[in-house]
Amino acid sequence: MKKIVLSLAFVAFTFATFANDKYQKAMLKNIPSVYSAKTFEDHQKVINNLTRIASAEEDKWEPHYYITYSYVIMSFKEENAGKKDQYLDLAQQALDKGIAIAPKESELVTLQGFIHTGRLNVDPMTRGAEYSGVAMQILNKAVKLNPENPRALLLLGQMMYGTAQFMGDSTAKACEVIGKSLDKFDTAGSSNPLAPQWGKTQAENALKECNK
Amino acid sequence: MKTLILVPFFVLIVSSNLLAQITIEGYVTDQKGHAITGANIYILDTYDGASTDENGYFSFATEESGEQVLIATFIGYRQLELPLNLAEPQDIIRISLKEDVNKLNAVVISAGSFSAGEETKREVLKPLDIVTTAGSSADIAGALNTLPGTQTVGEEGRLFVRGGSGEETKTYIDGMQVLNPYNSTIPNTPSRGRFSPFMFKGTSFSTGGYSAEYGQALSSALILNTKDIPTQNRTDFSIMSVGMDAAATRVWNRSSFSGKIQYTNITPYFNLVKQSLDLEKSPVAVDGNFAYRRKLNEDGMLKFYGNFNQSTLTSILEDIDDTRIKTRYQLDNHYYYFNTSYRDILSDKWSVKSGFAYTSGKDIIGIDQDEVIESENGMHLKTAFGYDPSPQLALNIGGEVFHRKYNHSLSEPEQDQLSKLSFEEELLAGFAEADFHISNNFVTRVGVRWEYSTLSEKTDVAPRFSMGYKTGEKGQFSFAYGQFQQTPQNELLRVANDLQPEKADHYILNYQWLTDKQTFRIEAYYKDYYDLITFDGNNLYDPAAYLNNGNGYAQGIDLFWRDNKTFKNVDYWVSYSYLDTKRKHRNFPQEAIPTFASSHNFSVVYKHFIADIKSQIGCTYSFASGRPYHNPDQPGFNASKTRSYHDLSMNISYLWKNNVIFHAYVTNVLGIENVFGYEYGNQLNEAGRHNRRAIEPMAPRFFFLGVFITLSKDKSLNGLPNL
Repeated sequence: MKKIVLSLAFVAFTFATFANDKYQKAMLKNIPSVYSAKTFEDHQKVINNLTRIASAEEDKWEPHYYITYSYVIMSFKEENAGKKDQYLDLAQQALDKGIAIAPKESELVTLQGFIHTGRLNVDPMTRGAEYSGVAMQILNKAVKLNPENPRALLLLGQMMYGTAQFMGDSTAKACEVIGKSLDKFDTAGSSNPLAPQWGKTQAENALKECNK
Repeated sequence: MKTLILVPFFVLIVSSNLLAQITIEGYVTDQKGHAITGANIYILDTYDGASTDENGYFSFATEESGEQVLIATFIGYRQLELPLNLAEPQDIIRISLKEDVNKLNAVVISAGSFSAGEETKREVLKPLDIVTTAGSSADIAGALNTLPGTQTVGEEGRLFVRGGSGEETKTYIDGMQVLNPYNSTIPNTPSRGRFSPFMFKGTSFSTGGYSAEYGQALSSALILNTKDIPTQNRTDFSIMSVGMDAAATRVWNRSSFSGKIQYTNITPYFNLVKQSLDLEKSPVAVDGNFAYRRKLNEDGMLKFYGNFNQSTLTSILEDIDDTRIKTRYQLDNHYYYFNTSYRDILSDKWSVKSGFAYTSGKDIIGIDQDEVIESENGMHLKTAFGYDPSPQLALNIGGEVFHRKYNHSLSEPEQDQLSKLSFEEELLAGFAEADFHISNNFVTRVGVRWEYSTLSEKTDVAPRFSMGYKTGEKGQFSFAYGQFQQTPQNELLRVANDLQPEKADHYILNYQWLTDKQTFRIEAYYKDYYDLITFDGNNLYDPAAYLNNGNGYAQGIDLFWRDNKTFKNVDYWVSYSYLDTKRKHRNFPQEAIPTFASSHNFSVVYKHFIADIKSQIGCTYSFASGRPYHNPDQPGFNASKTRSYHDLSMNISYLWKNNVIFHAYVTNVLGIENVFGYEYGNQLNEAGRHNRRAIEPMAPRFFFLGVFITLSKDKSLNGLPNL
C-alpha cells in the first residue's frame, strides 16, 4: 500500500516537473525571439506566443515581463506619437498583470521605469519634468528591491545622465551608476534560467558615452 | 514490483496521448473580409496556438482532445471564442473579428469643445499650456482666451464666449458647480479665477453644444477635473513680486493630502509701477486650498477639496461730472468653497459618480459711510450612473439638486426699496444621455435635460443632440445641437423673483484635422437667444417691469491652428473668431450689439524652448476689433465703437536648477494704449455734452517676477508641471 502511495506521489511529482519543464521549455524557446525580433510582425508573433503561455500559467510573471518588454521596444521603434502611447498602454496592461503576481520583483519594477522612460520620450518638452521624476523614483525602488539588478542600475544611470546633461550639471554621478551596472552584468547571476538578460551592450555604450 | 510496472504503464498512456496530434488551421479576417496579420489563435488554457501570417492564415498542431475553446484575439478587435470539438475531423476554420469600439481610435465629438487632458491623446491644449502661455498670467480664463470662440474683454477678465456675457459661462469642478468662480473686484478692473490651474489634471472648455449633464449656462461650460493621488511627497515655495505661497503634499499608501496657502499683496508693486486707479489700499488677499484624496478600492476614489479666500482693497473713485467729488470705495470679500466627490466602478457595466459642493461668498462694499452687503450661498448635490451594456452603447443618467440663497442689503435703510433684495432658489434637474458608437468612425449622442425651479415654478425639458463622423485617420466632422437655459442673473432676479429662465439654442458644425503635432479646426455656429430679460432703465425697482421679452442671436466662424512640428522646439497656435451678434435685452431700447462683443478676435501664441539656456520663452499677440459703446451725444444706441485692441505679452521660464525655476512675464510690451469703452456722466457740461471717461487698464503694462522652489526626496521634481 505504502508503495502504491509512494509511486503515485512519484507520478504526481513527475507530472509536476513535467509541467514545469513544459513551461520552462516553452519560455526558453520564445525568449531568444524577444531579443532577436526586428519587425513589428516579429514582435507581435512572440507576444502572441507569450500571451498563450501567460493565459495558461496564471502564477508566472515571466511571460508578462517579456510581453511588456516587447511592447516597450515596439513603442521605441514606432514613429507616430499616438501609436507610441498605445504600445505603452499595452505594455502597462501586461506589466500590471505581472506585478499582480510578483509585486516585489525588481525586474518588473524596472520595466515600470522603462515604460515611464518611454512616455517621457514621446513628448520630452511637456512630459520631461513629470516623467523623469516618477521614473527616477520607481527605478530607485527597483534598485532597493534588488541592489544587484544591473538593468535597474542601467536605466537609473541613463535617466540621471539625461537629466544632468539637460541641466548642464556634471554627469559623473550618473556615469558611476552606469559603471556599477556594468559590473553587476558580469557578477550578478540569477538562479532563474528565465530571468532577463538584456542590457549589457547598452551599458557598455552608455559608459563609452561617459568616457568621451 | 507491481507498482514499478504500473508507472511505465501510466507514462505509456500519457505518451500515446501526446502522439495524437490534430492540426487546426484557418483564416482570420476583419468584417470586410480583409486578412488580419498577427492575430493570436489558441486553445484556451493551453500553449497551443499560432499567429496569422500576411494572408490571415494560421495553422498549429495540438495534443489536446475532446471539447475545447478556441480563442482569436487581435489588438483593436473584440476577442472571439469558438467551441472546438477535437473528437471530430477539423475543417478549415474561418474567423471574422469585429472591430472593437476603443477609446483610443474612436471618434470623439469635437463640436464646441476643447479638452486638455493629461493622458488623453487627442488633446488640443495640455494643462501645462495654461500656465506657460504668455499673457495668461497663470489664470485659466487668461489662457483659454487665446482659443477661438472667446472674446477679449480686458476690463472683466472672465470668459466671454460667442456673443455671450461673462455670466453665461459656468464653471464646474469634478462635475460640481462653483458659484462666483472669479475674484471680486471693483467695477472695470479685471478679476482672476479663484482656482489655480496647478490643481487640475484636465480641463474641458466647451464653447457650446455641451452635454446634458451640465446645465444653467447659456453659452459655455468650463469643466475642470482635479488631480488624483500624486506619487511623491513634495514641498513648494514661491516668492513673487505680488506675494508668496507655500504648498505641501504628503502621500500615503492609498491617500494623499495637499495644502497650499498664498498671500498676495500688491502694495510694493503698485508703489513701484504707477497705476491709473487711485488706491488707498492696494489689493491684499489670503488664499488657502486643501485637497484630500483617498483610493477606496481599485477604481473607487473619494476626493475632498476646499478653498477659502479673503481679500480687501480700497480705492478712491472720481465722479465723472465733478472730479472734485471723490467716493471712497472699499471692498472686502470672504469666500469659501467646499467640494467632495466620489466615483467608483460598480461592475463591468455600471459606474457611479456622486458629489456635493457648497459655495459661500460675501462682498462687503463700503461706499463712503454706507455699506452694502451682498452674499450668495449655494449648495449642489449630484449623483449620476453610467451604464455600458455593450462597447457600442454608453448611458449616463443622473439627478441634481441646487439650492441658492442670495441677499443684498444696505446698512442705511433710507431707500426702502433698495434696503433688502433677496431670493432663494431651489432647482431640481435630471439628465439622461446615450452615446451610441455605430462604429469606430461614427458616434451619436442623444440627451435630454429636465429642470424645475421653485422661482419660475415651471418645468423645462431641453433636448441635446450631437454626432461625430471620422472621415479618415486624421479628419472628422462633428455636429451639435442643444437647448440651453439659465436662471436670470442675481441683479435681475433679486428684484423680480419669478422670472423665467433665459434660453438659447445652439447649432454647431465642426471639422477637425488632427495629427500628433498639428491641429486644425474650423467651426461655424448659430445661436438663437430668446426669453431674455428686459426691463425699464427708469423703473429699476418695479418687478412688474421685468419681462422675459428679449431675444437675440450670435453667429460666427472660429478657426484654430496649432503646430509643434514645423519648427524645432517651437510650439505655436493661431486663433481667429468672427462674431456677428445682436440682442434686444436688459434696458436696450432696440436690438443692438452688446458692449462686450467685438467682431474680430485674433491671437497667436508662440513658445520656444531653448535648451542651451534651459529656458522657455513665450509670446502672445492678441487683437480684437473695436467694441461698441453708447455715446449719449450721438444718435443711436451702442452706435459708437472703440479703437481696436492690441496686446503683445512675453514670458520666460528659466530652469536654474533641477528644482528651482525663475519665471517672469510682462504684458503689453509695446505699451499700446488700449480702451475698452467709455463711461459717461449724467449731466451736460459747458459745451453742451456729457463728460466721459475711458475704461482702460490700470497701467499700460504689468510686470511679474517669481521664483519657484520645489523640495522633494530625490530633488527630481520641480515646479514645471505646475508652473
